[in-house]
Amino acid sequence: MWKDLVDLLFQAYEQFSLLPLFIEIALAFIIIAIAATIFAYGAILYKRYRTYVHEKRVAFISPIIEELITDQVLLNENLGKDIPTEEIEFDKEALSNKVYKKPFVRQILIETLIQYRKNFRGEVGELLRKLYIDMDLQKDSFAKMKSMRWERKIKAVVELTQMDISISDVTILPLTNSTNPSLRAAARNAYIQLSKNEPFKFFDIATEPLLPWDQLEMFKIITTTKDIAIPNFSRWVSYSSNKSVVSFCLKLIAHYDQQSAIPAVMELLNNKDHYFRADAIICLGKLSAEVAEEKMVRIYNHQPLNCQVEILKAMGAIASGKYLEFLKTEFLYSSNFDIRMNAARAIIKHNTQNSRLLVEELMEMTHEENQLIIKHCLNPLIKY
Amino acid sequence: MHEFGGGFHLRIKQSAEKAINRYMSNILVIEDDDIMLKAIRNILRKDGHEVLTAKDGKEAFEKLDNEQYDVVITDLMMPYANGLEVVSRLRANTEKRHVGIIVCSSVGNEETITEAFRLGADDYLKKPIMAGELMIRIRKLLANRSANLKLVTKKK
Repeated sequence: MWKDLVDLLFQAYEQFSLLPLFIEIALAFIIIAIAATIFAYGAILYKRYRTYVHEKRVAFISPIIEELITDQVLLNENLGKDIPTEEIEFDKEALSNKVYKKPFVRQILIETLIQYRKNFRGEVGELLRKLYIDMDLQKDSFAKMKSMRWERKIKAVVELTQMDISISDVTILPLTNSTNPSLRAAARNAYIQLSKNEPFKFFDIATEPLLPWDQLEMFKIITTTKDIAIPNFSRWVSYSSNKSVVSFCLKLIAHYDQQSAIPAVMELLNNKDHYFRADAIICLGKLSAEVAEEKMVRIYNHQPLNCQVEILKAMGAIASGKYLEFLKTEFLYSSNFDIRMNAARAIIKHNTQNSRLLVEELMEMTHEENQLIIKHCLNPLIKY
Repeated sequence: MHEFGGGFHLRIKQSAEKAINRYMSNILVIEDDDIMLKAIRNILRKDGHEVLTAKDGKEAFEKLDNEQYDVVITDLMMPYANGLEVVSRLRANTEKRHVGIIVCSSVGNEETITEAFRLGADDYLKKPIMAGELMIRIRKLLANRSANLKLVTKKK
């Protein structure tokens, strides 16, 4: 039989080699296309079958898991009796059910517990965590941490973070500097949430950038995590060689109003990178750093437009009143529209007797376009 | 005072008496997250309440039309109609405006919370919630409601 098949193939090849070249190419393309289509259909069918099997398993196991959580946690008789959560015991027989030894059941159990933890805190939340620990599910999560696949590592990090299980620095710190952006972000977020004493220690070793979206996520976590130890961020402003870390720290300094960081931030005004300088100026403005005004005015003429605009905005935020003359000059004599607009806004933001008199004076002495700018800035309904 | 007259008044009185006597009440839980829905139902049933559930705004409106409830616990972001629509529709209905409403959502911004209270929600719980807190708030809401209704009855 094999011999016949080989003969047939050989004959087909001979026939094929007799065909003109363009027909040969066309046939080759047709064969490749048919093979690729069959492969793609096969892959889709296989994936669908796997999803179907998984859904069937989930549908079968979910009620069992929900019953376990309802009986052991939600309807636990010891809830609300002022008994410490650590002392509340679960029904060992229910927990030792053979079904909970299967890996896929344990994974669904972990996911369900996380889902519950997202909805419940307090005693119920603590009891869900205890159930996770008592069923040794953290071992499954730690096993996933050792996986070579980054998706499994992320899964493990998220599971342990959601269940508030501490991960050793040796394991998590290298992940905070991973070359994979998703894993890096998950590890950094986990480190902030889990580390009680030094949640920002990974800034020391961070060589990979903090992407804007990561910064946003991290900021949300920092501001919503309870009992987080907030350090003095000027430490990284002074010593970190990672630009994105410094930029993020400047935002945190402004958010937490860390006045002690002003000297370190002022040092950045000498930095060669003008984006950095602009970030530092914004930070000084938000800190209302009056001591920085003199330096900002001194360097003003040597700055690019973005830094000049930020200096004017910062002066409006600081509003010490010492540099109204400077602002007046910029407003009257600058040829740049943005400069005039921000100078006017800075004067108005002072909101003092002197600044109000100056605005009136400017309205009388300046030309029509500048008058329009002042009117625009005086309107409290217009923000930009 | 048209809305407090006749059969409607009697229904409120009966409902209030029921709540005063046992703190047991008829509660509708509107929540699109299946896990949360079942969890709240189990917790409230344990506390002795009669609990009905709805998975979205559409189902909620159907159930609200067909039955009287003492308390409605609603999520905010749901398919078909959001929680704020449920609150405003309940408050706009003269026969059902006495229902106690607790909004239970993970949305925590000031605007949404203020809007929920402005539309007539009695309480707002931010997820993750504490089961004990939910039960106490329901009891307090029922107690306040029944006290108010007693006052209205006296005035009549």
